[in-house]
Order: sequence, then structure tokens, then C-alpha cells
Amino acid sequence: MTDISISNQAIAGKTAPPSEARVLRLPTQWLGVAPFFIFAIMFLILPTLYLMLGAFQNDAGEFTFENIAALAQPSIVAAYWISIKVSLASSLIGAFAGLAIAIAIVRGGLPNWIRSATLTFSGVASNFAGVPLAFAFLATLGRLGLVTVLLNTLVGLNIYAHGFNILSFWGLTLTYVYFQIPLMVVIIVPAIDGLKKEWGEAAATLGATQLQFWRMVVIPVVWPSFLGTVILLFANAFGAIATAYALTGSSLNIVPILLYAQIRGDVLHNAHLGYAIAFGMIVITGLANVFYIWFRTRSERWLK
Amino acid sequence: MKSGKFWAWVVFGFGAAYFFIPLVATFEFSLRMRRGAYSFDAYQIVLGDARFQATFGYSVLAAIFTIILGVLIVVPAAYWIRLRLPQLRPIVEFITLLPLVIPAIVIVFGYIRMYGSNSPLPFLASDTGTNALLVIGYATLALPYMYRAVDTGLRTIDVRTLTEAAQILGAGWSTIITRVILPNVLIAVLSGAFLTFAIVIGEFTMASLLNRPAFGPYLQNIGANRAYEPAALAIIAFAITWGCMSLIQILSRFAPRSANRPN
Amino acid sequence: MFKFTGKVLSLSAATLLASSVISSAASLDDLVKAAKAEGQLTTIALPHDWCGYGDVIAGFKAKYPEITVNELNPDAGSGDEVEAIKANKDNKGPQAPDVIDVGLSFGPTAKADGLLLPYKVSTWDSIPDSAKDADGAWTGDYYGVLSFQVNKDLVKEAPADWADLLKPEFANTVALAGDPRASNQAIQGVYAAGLSTGAAAGEAAGTAGLDFFKKLNAAGNFVPVIGKAATLAQGQTPILVTWDYNALAGRDTLKGNPPVDVVVPKTGVVAGVYVQAISAYAPHPNAAKLWLEYLYSDEGQIGWLKGYCHPIRFNDLAKNGKLPADVMAKLPPAESYASAVFPTLDEQGKAKEAITKNWDAVVGANVK
Repeated sequence: MTDISISNQAIAGKTAPPSEARVLRLPTQWLGVAPFFIFAIMFLILPTLYLMLGAFQNDAGEFTFENIAALAQPSIVAAYWISIKVSLASSLIGAFAGLAIAIAIVRGGLPNWIRSATLTFSGVASNFAGVPLAFAFLATLGRLGLVTVLLNTLVGLNIYAHGFNILSFWGLTLTYVYFQIPLMVVIIVPAIDGLKKEWGEAAATLGATQLQFWRMVVIPVVWPSFLGTVILLFANAFGAIATAYALTGSSLNIVPILLYAQIRGDVLHNAHLGYAIAFGMIVITGLANVFYIWFRTRSERWLK
Repeated sequence: MKSGKFWAWVVFGFGAAYFFIPLVATFEFSLRMRRGAYSFDAYQIVLGDARFQATFGYSVLAAIFTIILGVLIVVPAAYWIRLRLPQLRPIVEFITLLPLVIPAIVIVFGYIRMYGSNSPLPFLASDTGTNALLVIGYATLALPYMYRAVDTGLRTIDVRTLTEAAQILGAGWSTIITRVILPNVLIAVLSGAFLTFAIVIGEFTMASLLNRPAFGPYLQNIGANRAYEPAALAIIAFAITWGCMSLIQILSRFAPRSANRPN
Repeated sequence: MFKFTGKVLSLSAATLLASSVISSAASLDDLVKAAKAEGQLTTIALPHDWCGYGDVIAGFKAKYPEITVNELNPDAGSGDEVEAIKANKDNKGPQAPDVIDVGLSFGPTAKADGLLLPYKVSTWDSIPDSAKDADGAWTGDYYGVLSFQVNKDLVKEAPADWADLLKPEFANTVALAGDPRASNQAIQGVYAAGLSTGAAAGEAAGTAGLDFFKKLNAAGNFVPVIGKAATLAQGQTPILVTWDYNALAGRDTLKGNPPVDVVVPKTGVVAGVYVQAISAYAPHPNAAKLWLEYLYSDEGQIGWLKGYCHPIRFNDLAKNGKLPADVMAKLPPAESYASAVFPTLDEQGKAKEAITKNWDAVVGANVK
């Protein structure tokens, strides 16, 4: 894919002069992206500007850095750190597991109905988060959960006696993965679908083994989409609050919970600190995005 | 590939177990409403409510409009960025990640501030305007997923060659996008549509603060402070949304064919 | 705002507005007419199971059928309600709340921000001074005390007091109904535990409460999950520390499946007051005033009593023999409330500081 795009760019370079001659065509690409930017500005950026500005104001309306400085408190720094770890863990696990499932249903030779059933199920499951999901996992793996009790009565295995606890970092990650995997499946299936049969046949004709086919054809093709979805999964987990709140509420200190406590809370309600926390989240997402772009460019070169 | 098929079944089996067992546990709990015996009491309470149909219908309609709006906004932008404006990609990708980390409640309060009944763009001055603003809000929430899905789809087809071929044949831009590009990325657009649909059906914050009769606030109303009804609701909502998506999947089979999707 | 040309409305509206900001309900009939002309009331954050608000709202609608009630976001917290007023300053549509019901500490801060419209209801004098703003900006509406909601299927003998919770038979049972770093209910729960150990009111009780929960967690009795009816029934949180009205309403909805005991602890009985206020930017101020009149009338107050909340005019109603015996029979015995403590704003503030800042560090129920 990368080879094709380079040659395409060469062709584009050659055909540039004729398109310039038709003056009307030049602004078309800008007209094409204009709806997106107008929409984003009117309905995403401007309405949330008060959040950005609020992060730098105090109650009297004066400009101040004290909210940003307050982010350096140990409890808030710890919250960011835990959020990043949970998001990273759940997005990586979700990404690879999702990829495996997507490959299984598209290329695994399974019956046709499994593919559409899995896709539609994944569509629903990707949004099955919050209180219902937390409750589902408590009802499954909590102290009196179905699986816990079954394992104890049928096999004599008391997982809690062995140190397992759903109310923990890994318990939360396990729960997050429930909506991360389907998200990856739904988005990556079209990419796996796009692997033409002819490529597999051509590779076989040229004497490539299965492993070589995967390593030299499939992975480079799917890699950019895969990475793009990983960053989506990361941000998805980073901003998720309802599930964590319902599952580990007062024990796991993640950033969205802090944020909600400040802007929605019954008691704390220092809205400006809340905005500063949100601003910090946006900055971290931006940094993650930069890292992803750098990593994608580097790895594309490496995979060529 | 016999071994390939075996591993496919193994992976699928583990996945199915991981996803179904928590649902089974929730279902088992929802059956416990009547003391001492399994029953569907919780389901009768939920389904017997007259507002179930009305609010679900409202949300389905809103979902359809949201999907259309999302496609109109995202597909041309993703297309042009792949074709001509790769330098805009980082900015656009960052923008599409924002709705994931900015809480929906901040967005909806922003809308109320900016588009209230006394503002230059008074969306909230009428019911139709408020409905439109809700659909816009949903499209904003679904933006990350729709963009990523469409972008993935565009990567799998040779956008440049298709475009040039169509131009040589004399097609204008709108024809290119609607009759050449769109059918080829339909699977990806469908993925985005699924994700959008699920988001709209379950969404609560925006609908409740904009005072709209959507499914989310209804679910909250029935399930708050109850023990068994929320579990029944979760199962019902899951099943119905899955059913609707399967319907969309079946209907999409009637969409225009393309060389990439011979089936 | 007033697009209506009815002479009666404009006259009564003008009178209400022209008179001093603090208006006593001189003529209830004029107010009713003005409210009906407005035709709508928008409320926010009123779950139907909280203090029987479902029936209270239904009662209001039955009494004044010309007024439609828009209910916004029953899930909202006090912070959300204040934010909703601020966001809707320029919006007169049905998204702008007319009235709010918030925690005690939000009353003075909202008044300081200029978000409230003062109004003194006709029963103003029968409301205790400590529970209302002198200018009428906010008025206490109901209170409840912290109690234990116990799943009888899983806990054979219910705890009678805070100290009992530390006993080994209550391993993995006790949970708070909110996040103690953010939820009023949870913070008051910690505070009440502190008071029960004999600490002085204010910051000392807050710190003592944190120590109590540290012991509870170390003993393995504390479950760091936000408890709800579902987790109580399912078994994850068999003992829930929650407001008595929530516990009693929860007991009713569970209908014996599982059977629930509601216990008011012997010591450390803390009462939490909520306050009602009118938004300064309310699109329907007269409907809002009528709503307040209804809530503070005997009918409204007893409506809350039926929802297991103690209405703010409880003592006045008791003195005049207006408390229905059948409703009173459903509540825990009156002696349990005899030692109820009403923390002052100052005490609440200091305790809140101590608890929210130090919960993670002291109690250590933290997941690393």
C-alpha cells in the first residue's frame, strides 16, 4: 500500500499543472473539507471553549495559572497516571484480541452467519458500558458472582482466596476490554476484508509461506488502520468514567472521576479546577496523538 | 487451511465465552425478581410501559438522522484528506479524538449557552430546532468512530486510481463521491453506522438536559433505584439494539454492488 | 419573557415585580392565575424515588392541570443544577430550570453568584431559622438521617450502631452509597461515623470518621463499591450506609426480595438538609413560586413525609397534630431521631475538606 501511494504521488505531481489550468478546481478540496471544519468549530470547539478558558480563570474571572498549578497535587498526578495505565492496558489488550477475532471471522473459514452476527453484536457491545457493564461483571466475578460461585461449588476453586479481586486495576481493565474489543473488531473488519484473495494467491504462486504472506503483505497493509484504531481505543478508555465509577467508585482514583467530582459534584464543585483537569486530559490526548503519528510514520518506513 | 480454521474456532470460542457469560449473569439476576422462583416479572414491568415504544421510536429516528449527518460530514472530508490534503490529517485526527475526552455534559451545556432561545442561532427556540441540535450533538459524539471507520475503509481501496478513472470518464465531484467512492466503502460506513446507532440509543445526558423524549432518559427513569429492572432493561436494550443492527445489515445487502464486494 | 396580554396577568405580574424583591404571597389566587398563564414548570434532578418526588409532582399536576411539568435530568448532582442555571441564562426554552433542589452548602454559594430569586412562602414563619436564608433566597425543604440498609438474606443480625460494623461477622459487607470524595451522602456517612466515636463536631469528626473507615477497611469489612439497590440485592454490598429515606424507599421497591432492615444507628445520627430555590433566570417564575407554595403547604410537606423524608416543617405539623398516623407508622421510631445532629455550614465545610482531601491517603482503599 505504501508503495502504491508513493507512485500515486509521483503521478499526482505530473498531473498537477493541468489541474491548475482549470482555476475552478483548486479550491474544491477545501470546499470538500469545509463542512467538517465548520461542523467541528460550531459544535465541538466553540461550545467547549468555556472549558478551555475556564481552566485559566478563577471565580472572580481573572486570568490565573493556579488551576493548572493545582494539577501538580500528588492525588491528581496519581489519577492521571492510573488513567493512562488503564487506558494503555485495555487498549492494547482490546486491540490485539479484537484483531484476532476480526481475522478469525473474516478469513478463518467460519460459516457466513458468524461474521454478520459478530459484527452486529460488536456494534452493540462497543457501547455497553457504564453501570450495566459494571453490574454485569460484579454479577459474574464479584464475591457472589455467577462464575465465582460456580467455580467454588463445582471445582472447589475459590478465586478470591487466591487473591483475585474484580475491584482492582486488572479487574477494571478486564471490564474495559469488554467494549474495547468490539470497537476494534467493527473498525478493522473492513480492512481485513480489503485483503484481496488475489494477493494470497499471488503470494502462494511466488512461493511465500503463510508466515511470509502475513508478515510482508497483510501486516503492512493493515498496520496504519490498526494503529489508528489503537489510539481511538486509548482515548475511548481515557475518557470513560461511568464504568469505573460504577465498578471501583471510591477505590480507584482515575481522572474522569476527579473531573466529575469537581464539575458535577454534590460537594466539591470547584468548576475551574475541573476545567483544568479536563484541559490536562485534552493535552494528554494530544500528546498521545502526536506519539501515534510519529510511531506510524516510523513503523511504515520500517515495514516497507 | 485446516489448522487455520481450528484456531479461528478457538479464538471465536473464547471471544464468545468472554462476551456472553456476563450477559448470562445479568440475565440470571433479572429473573430473580420474584422471590424463590425464576420469572419474567421484571420484563413485564419494563415492556408493559407505554412510553417504551414512543421513546424507542424517537431514538431510532434520531439515530437514522445522525448516521446521515455523520456520513455527509465525514466521508467528503476523509476522502479529500486522503486524496489531496494529507497535511491536515493530524489536525483532523486530533479533533476527532476530542469528543472522547470532553464529557458530554460539558458539550451540551456549551450548546445551551451558545444556541439558547435568545442567541443569534436559536436552536432551542423551537422543538424542531432542539431536535436538530440533539442530532448534531449525537453526531459530535459519534464523530471519532465514524471518522476512524471511514478512514479505514478508504485505506483499503485505491482512492486515487478510482478518482482518476471516474474523472477520465467525465464524472463530476459529487458523482465521484456518491457513485464511485461511497459504494466501495460501504462496509466501513456500515461499521460507523452501527457504532453511531448504539451510541444514540443509549445516550442519556444530552437528551435529558435538552428535554427530549429519548430512550436514554426513559431507561434511567424506569431503572433508577431499582434492583431487578435495570438488569432486565440492559438485556432488553441489548437485544433490541442488536436486532435493529441486524436489520440494517440485511437492508445493506440491497445497496449498490462494487467489485470489491462480490457477495 | 411575558408575551401574554391578559390584563389580570400583567397586573399581577407587575405588582409582583414592582413590589420589593422579597415578595410575600399576598394573594395566592393571583399567583395561581399568573402561574397558569405561564403554563409550564421546569424542574431538574428530581428522581421519582427520592423523597417520593414522583407522587409529589403528580399531586402538583393534579392540583394545577394547566401547568405542564418538564423534568430534566433526574440523575443530576447539585453541581449540575447550578451549572444548568448558569448555562441557561439566555435561554427561555424548556431546558432552563425554574427551581432547584440542592445540598445545603450550595444555597449560599448560588446566592453569592446571583443565581437565585428570593421568595418567602406563605408558611415562612413555621420554618426553623437555621434552615432558611434570611432574605428568602433559599429554603430548607427536607432532611433525613444516615442509616444502615441491610440485606436480611445475607446478614442475619443487623448492626445496631457504627461500632458494630467493625465486628468480624460483617466481613465484605459495608459500603457507602456514593464516592466519599465527591458525594454528599457518602461524606456525611464518614462524618456520622466520626461523630459516633465521640469526636467534636467539624473537622475532628471528619478525621475520626476517616480513621473509622481505615479500621473498617483493614478489618476487611469495607467494600469500596458505590452501593445501589442492585448491588445490595445481588450481594456485593449487603450493608449500605445511606439516607433513611433512600433506604426505606429501597426496601419498598424490593418488596421483600430480599427482605431489608433499615436501622438508624444509636450514636452518630447526622441529619442532612436539602434546600429549594428559584432560579434568577427562570422562564416561569410564577409557576416556580406556586411550586414552592405547594411544597411548603401541609399537602406538599406530607407528600415528602410519605416518601420517608422529614419535611422541614415537621415540628410545626407535629405541634398542630397534622401528622397522619399511618404514614408515621412506616417510619423508624421517633426516638431514633431524638439525638439527630444538624451540622452547621461551617462544620460541614471543615469536615468535607478533611474527608475529601485525606480519604485516599488515610483509608487506603486505593487501587494502585
